[in-house]
Amino acid sequence: MQDYREFIDQVLFDAAAIERRVRELGAQISREYAGEDLLVVCLLRGGLTFTADLTRYISISHELDCMSLSSYGTGHYASSGNVRVNLDLKTNIEKRNVLLVEDIVDSGRTLAHVLEMLQTREPKSVKVCVLLDKKERREVEVACDYVGFDVPDKYIFGYGIDIDEHFRHLPFIATADLDKYRKPEE
Amino acid sequence: MQDYHNIIAEILIDETTLQERIHQLGEQISRDYANEDLLLICILRGGVVFMVDLMRQITIPHGIDCMAISSYGVGGRASSGNVRLTLDLQTNIEGKSVLLVEDIVDSGHTISRVLELLSTRRPRSLKVCALLDKQERREVEVPIDYRGFTIPNKFVFGYGLDLDEYYRNLPFVAVVDLKKYKGA
Repeated sequence: MQDYREFIDQVLFDAAAIERRVRELGAQISREYAGEDLLVVCLLRGGLTFTADLTRYISISHELDCMSLSSYGTGHYASSGNVRVNLDLKTNIEKRNVLLVEDIVDSGRTLAHVLEMLQTREPKSVKVCVLLDKKERREVEVACDYVGFDVPDKYIFGYGIDIDEHFRHLPFIATADLDKYRKPEE
Repeated sequence: MQDYHNIIAEILIDETTLQERIHQLGEQISRDYANEDLLLICILRGGVVFMVDLMRQITIPHGIDCMAISSYGVGGRASSGNVRLTLDLQTNIEGKSVLLVEDIVDSGHTISRVLELLSTRRPRSLKVCALLDKQERREVEVPIDYRGFTIPNKFVFGYGLDLDEYYRNLPFVAVVDLKKYKGA
């Protein structure tokens, strides 16, 4: 596996900046859901790091659940079309306040499908908290209620987001120079 | 939902102690697996917080994946018998160095079944990293290669471990006062 220093283009947000912003989001969510029931739903696997940190900054009692999704018939980097549920929620969300936590939104297609699907279960509310919003790539309108940072349309990795399944563990968010990146051998 | 302050009997492991120990585990794992193709496997949902903090302390390149498991035919807090995979790995682990990351090992039944199951896929190696080891409860032998803390046989929650699905987000591990806890 290549050392990330060989292909990193720019650190967009360092660990301290991310922590500050995640703390603010946690405080805001805690205020807005005060006195309410809250179920936080982590979208695997990209959302893991953000969810683990965010929930520690949510000071009100809440539950945590996970969903794993994939797209039908599209390539690795694309995300369009219908969504296949690999792991569904354990929790019945009927009449619950659901907060979906996602690492990054680009085209918005996956998220829009998940929201549609979850709405059929008649939750009390469904909101979206996304760490990174790649607005330039949006193809369908999707309401992101809590946004960590806007990011440019560049290849991004770190803080839960992978390149070919690696580098999720890095504590910062960076852009990659794909000309310098070599795909790992299988 | 009750405020957690009212149901804590004691804080067993505080945030600083947890983070220091996880840092040590990360260093040790980075040394032991240098130049290996390491895959961390998180067992949902209890292992999420621990794995996220642990992976950030691992300095060598590695992949992560998740599994969700439930037990057949036993209820509530018991865990014995066969396990059902509700979410299998996305990764083919053949030839990989696999490290299973668990929040807590008590009877050991679930984890030993998972180890059995994964070893049929011929990984290069298969080891276990458990944050909490409730040794007194062990019913089957489980090799724990990396252990955060050995803890007494008390009802613990926080740092990924839930009480009726709540309080996983607390940054410390605490013992619940069952006289004061009313349930969800």
